[in-house]
Amino acid sequence: MLGPGVVWYLGISAFLFGTGALGVLVRRNPLIVLLSLEIMLNGANLALIGFAREHGGGAGQIFALAVMAVAASEVCVGLGLVVALNRRRLAMDVDRLSELRG
Amino acid sequence: MIGGAWLCLLSPLAGTLLITAAGTRISRRAAGWLSTASVFLAFAGAVWSFFGLRSHGSEHGSVSTAWTWLQAGSFKPGLSVLVDPLSTMMMLIVAGVGGLIVLYSIGYMDGDDEERRYFAYMSLFVFSMLLLVEGGNLLLLLAGWGLVGLSSYLLIGFWHERPTAVAAAKKAFVMNAFGDATMALAFFVLIAHSGSLDFATSFATAGHLSQTTVDLVALGLLGGAAAKSAQIPLHTWLPDAMEGPTPVSALIHAATMVTAGVYLIARTHPIFEQARTIELIAAGLGALTLLVAGLVALVQTDIKRVIAYSTMSQIGYMFLGAGIGAYANGMYHLMTHAFFKALLFMAAGLAIHALAGEQDIRKMSGIGSYLPWTRWAFLAGSLALVGVPPFAGFFSKDSIIAAALHAHWYGVIFWVVALVGTFLTGLYTFRLYFIVFPGEPSAFVREHHHAHEGREGPRTMLLPVGILAVLSVVGGWLQFSPLWHPVTSWLEPAARTLGVAEPTSWQEGLSSALAVALGLAGIGVAYLVYGRGRVAVPRLPAVQRALEHKLYFDEAYDALFYKPAAAMATWWRREFEEPVVLAAGPDLGETAFDAGRGLRRVQTGLLRTYVLFLGAGMAVVAVVFLVVR
Repeated sequence: MLGPGVVWYLGISAFLFGTGALGVLVRRNPLIVLLSLEIMLNGANLALIGFAREHGGGAGQIFALAVMAVAASEVCVGLGLVVALNRRRLAMDVDRLSELRG
Repeated sequence: MIGGAWLCLLSPLAGTLLITAAGTRISRRAAGWLSTASVFLAFAGAVWSFFGLRSHGSEHGSVSTAWTWLQAGSFKPGLSVLVDPLSTMMMLIVAGVGGLIVLYSIGYMDGDDEERRYFAYMSLFVFSMLLLVEGGNLLLLLAGWGLVGLSSYLLIGFWHERPTAVAAAKKAFVMNAFGDATMALAFFVLIAHSGSLDFATSFATAGHLSQTTVDLVALGLLGGAAAKSAQIPLHTWLPDAMEGPTPVSALIHAATMVTAGVYLIARTHPIFEQARTIELIAAGLGALTLLVAGLVALVQTDIKRVIAYSTMSQIGYMFLGAGIGAYANGMYHLMTHAFFKALLFMAAGLAIHALAGEQDIRKMSGIGSYLPWTRWAFLAGSLALVGVPPFAGFFSKDSIIAAALHAHWYGVIFWVVALVGTFLTGLYTFRLYFIVFPGEPSAFVREHHHAHEGREGPRTMLLPVGILAVLSVVGGWLQFSPLWHPVTSWLEPAARTLGVAEPTSWQEGLSSALAVALGLAGIGVAYLVYGRGRVAVPRLPAVQRALEHKLYFDEAYDALFYKPAAAMATWWRREFEEPVVLAAGPDLGETAFDAGRGLRRVQTGLLRTYVLFLGAGMAVVAVVFLVVR
């Protein structure tokens, strides 16, 4: 099999996922949080594709396609929310958007 | 003939269902006529089966089974009807008198808000009663027995906005349920021993059982019969049941349902004959009831209650007859009693109707001058009740009294009691008559009386009263023992009169003469005291008070059963329900509330907390999977 082994792919995948998760946890701007989420999803996708190539099955690739579809729809909703926040001139800060609490 | 029996049974049921299904789409009047037509159709069916049975020879009773009603192992009673002399006689009485009374109801209930419900109940009652008398096995008999109790309950409490009516209905239902339960227990014993409730099998089995078992079965049956027929000690519901509409009192609480106990004894006589002690108890209860009810009737002031006590007393005669083995005489008295007691109730109903619902005899006095025909009808019914020849009661009641004289050594006691009973009958019946009908109309009557289109009542009310008045006169000519006795010979295949209850002619003659003399003496005393007012009522305050309290039966039952039950219920409420059950609700709520208050701290509103929880959860799941594998 050509190219690097599956471990390299998993390494990059874990790096991407970690970066994304860190971004979701520490950034306050909702736009950046969304971006970080996308990075996490892509990290997961890379792992799926890597395994698919390793095992030679098509299932992982199809799963990755499904994740992309979910990501696209999630971005639609997320960006819609960001636009709505902007229109109402609310602070672009997820920590201050915390009215829904117990 | 079987077709007639099925028609007789199902026609009133169809009437009930039609009235119920049609609801307000038909007028109230139409509901009344529908009910009347269904009961008269049942009467036609009864006549059909009567003539069918005659042409086949009455000894061949026949059972027709529609299908197996229910099945439990080898016990499978069918949905069957029995046509034999006893059941056809009851069918004729129930459907015939019932039809007349339902017709009378059309006039009596006119203008009531819930007439349709009333007529649906009436048809239901007739169906239940016919199921009781036609049922081809003891289980169907019990089903009919329960259903008449239900329709009686519904009709006593028909005016459900009156608290007294509702209380009376409940009382009747509870006491009857007691009787139903003892009957069911008796049937369980029979099923355990014979695996069947068919009449023939059960009666054959009764012969092989031990004496104690037969006694228990008979005692259970007697309990049911006494409760339904208002015999001491289960009688207190009947006077209260007069809260129902008057036609209901006439049909259910005089002519048909309350006599079901006599029918039961006649029907199951092979069992009672195996249990002589219990049969003797039945006769004794009858004798006691006829005496006590006759005494209590002397002081009652409600016209319907007087007649109700008289019903109890007359059923006492029937029990006495059936108890000593004179089944045919008991059944014959049942028939004539259905005529004249329904007549008395319906004539009283005419007077009550004309006075806009007043039932107190002290206020009704002198109503006879406004209602001359009603007065004659009531007089005919009263004479039949006292047993003055040639009215119906003479022929039926005297034969029971004569049979008592012939029966064993204890018969003489019953004979004396029955003769005292005839004196009381004459006294209380004509006390009622002389107070209510003759004489100058009282101020109350003059003020409240209102005629109905120039007649004494609507035509639908007058016609049945007229027919029954004629029947009260001629109905007794059917049998005059010992000269001719078609009823006894008709009933012989179903309930053969025992030899001990067939008196000789001198006994018949002596009993009749004494009974008539004592009855007339009662009438004479009533005339002197209440008709002319020459003799004052003797002042015996203690006796009078005891009788006005109906010999304290209600009070005793209150103290014996109601009070302890109520006290126990109060104790449980105070000691268990309030501290445990009721307190548990708030406690549970409090706990849930506290838990929620603790849990809500987790809901911070900060996105990163949620993500952290999510991540932590994932990590835990991953670790668990790795470790478990």
